[in-house]
Amino acid sequence: METQSYTPVPPGVGMEENFLSLDDILLSHERLPCRTESAFPRLGFLEKSADTRDIPEGTKMEMPLWLAKGLYERKRRTLSVDPPKTYRQGWRTVLGADPNVVDLHKMGPYFYGMGSQLLHFDSPENAEIAQTVLQTFIGRFRRTMDASQNALDADTSALVAPLDALERALFRAGQAGLAAYQRWEGGASGRIEASGLVVNYRKRKLGELQA
Amino acid sequence: MSDALSEASDLSGDDSQDVMTPTELIAKLEEAWLNEKFSPELLKNKSEIVECVMEQLTHMEENLQRVRKGDVKASIHRMEIDRIRFVLSSYLRSRLQKIEKFFPHVLEKEKSRAEGDPSFLSPEEFAFAKEYMANTETYLKAVALRHMPPNLQTIDMLKAVPEPCLDSFVFLRVKERQENILVEPETDEQREYVVDLEEGSQHLMRYRTIAPLVASGAVQLI
Amino acid sequence: MDPSEVEFLAEKEMVTIIPNFSLDKIYLIGGDLGPFNPGLPVDVPVWLALNLKQRQKCRIVPPDWMDVGKLEEIKELESKEETFAPIPSPYYMELTKMLLNHASDNIPKADEIRTLVKDIWDTRVAKLRLSADSFISQLEAHAKLDNLTLMEINTTRTFLLDSLNCMYKLRTNLQPGSDKSNDY
Repeated sequence: METQSYTPVPPGVGMEENFLSLDDILLSHERLPCRTESAFPRLGFLEKSADTRDIPEGTKMEMPLWLAKGLYERKRRTLSVDPPKTYRQGWRTVLGADPNVVDLHKMGPYFYGMGSQLLHFDSPENAEIAQTVLQTFIGRFRRTMDASQNALDADTSALVAPLDALERALFRAGQAGLAAYQRWEGGASGRIEASGLVVNYRKRKLGELQA
Repeated sequence: MSDALSEASDLSGDDSQDVMTPTELIAKLEEAWLNEKFSPELLKNKSEIVECVMEQLTHMEENLQRVRKGDVKASIHRMEIDRIRFVLSSYLRSRLQKIEKFFPHVLEKEKSRAEGDPSFLSPEEFAFAKEYMANTETYLKAVALRHMPPNLQTIDMLKAVPEPCLDSFVFLRVKERQENILVEPETDEQREYVVDLEEGSQHLMRYRTIAPLVASGAVQLI
Repeated sequence: MDPSEVEFLAEKEMVTIIPNFSLDKIYLIGGDLGPFNPGLPVDVPVWLALNLKQRQKCRIVPPDWMDVGKLEEIKELESKEETFAPIPSPYYMELTKMLLNHASDNIPKADEIRTLVKDIWDTRVAKLRLSADSFISQLEAHAKLDNLTLMEINTTRTFLLDSLNCMYKLRTNLQPGSDKSNDY
């Protein structure tokens, strides 16, 4: 049965974030190249390379997404964010030519998530970034689907390696559907098994005894 | 024996509802079960169905108490009871899972409900949702928030937890013919168009478009 | 949905059995069954048929379509048609599996039937994948999926619906109103 010992909180997709999702927490730690457009008094501790009390206007620094979102204001220019190179013209052209040749895991691993989050920051390139992110997803869909329908005992590591986090989640969903069907077809779904929680509990107990 | 297991009594609804036979009742429960499993949002509770089914099961189980062991008929009745119980628990469980997933929004909807409108939640589900919310908040406070600066110690759960996405696609089968269902375009180049949903046909489309039809029972999610 | 739940729904389908016992009519909550008389065919739901069969209380009469000739026709039609061809039972896969696993002695040419049904299934699932791909790449908003069975939908449900959902979110990223910036 599909019942799990607990239900993991899924990440938000696109510009939405799920505060309680581990994936989204990891995404919010991805670093972005920024430039301060005003001074930030007493925030010098955020800038590791300089030993000053304030961050002066015009400082170029990297900061995590969550911080950039926190400091950014649309009305007052406090901060400008440069899209990471993956989302700039050069890579957009590559992705537009053939999205399947790119290793999004290396470039991501949150390619779609970060691409969507970037749109929170005003930039003349936003429309093109959004378009590239969408077209890349569509262009790679067939491959993600075919990979996920691969035989379950086959070695899929080479197929999975270039997938970004979102595609991997879809890949796993596809494999889970296939696995459930094959279990049913093989007649194994009628068998009763101990829940993962119980098995782990026993293992822990055993570990404690041995310790 | 034959007395104890004679025809299951017809159910008459408490108010103005039509009389529903037990067979129809079970069919309604199964419809509600599949709709709840596949709809992206929490549907209106079907407490009256749940209660009637429970009544039927209790009634049948009481009768079975009086039957001697090893009776073939009784064993068939027990199998049926187990099957109905499975659907019932799976139905209630899928509602609880959605409440856990969307708890702030579920509670918000309940709060903003107009006086006199029926609640989306059963009283038990409402209690569960409130407790789930309170437990989550207490937990976050205990492990993290109390260590934060005072101005950062609150968290807006409505913003922290995404809403159900009504634009999700669903599979459905049409039970009552529908005309002129508007299909919104997916891209700027496409144009909106209308489709007729023939009885018995199956479709893949956005939940938002057909949500009212799920509520009215004109389509069944599959 | 777990495949075993789809199978559970298939177990409600009616099938003809020939009982070897007598029993009065049974008044189940879900409807009346019987009466049962030795040698007289009677329709019961599959869950009951399998149970009686396991207790050696009946013989199961396979549905008409569970026949090598008929299945060969269906298979041919399925490979010719581009869309999903009509299928004799919305639970053909589940019924085949259940009846062949528990009552193969009542079904002539059980092995051939198993292979044919699997071929039909494979052809249909391949079509389903093709249509899923074109649905996504064309950014379609609506698809008519007549004749597709629940078990077939179910093998790809989570994957396809999650993908469509992701695509929708990515597509509406820049539309007005989608910017619900979360300030914590």
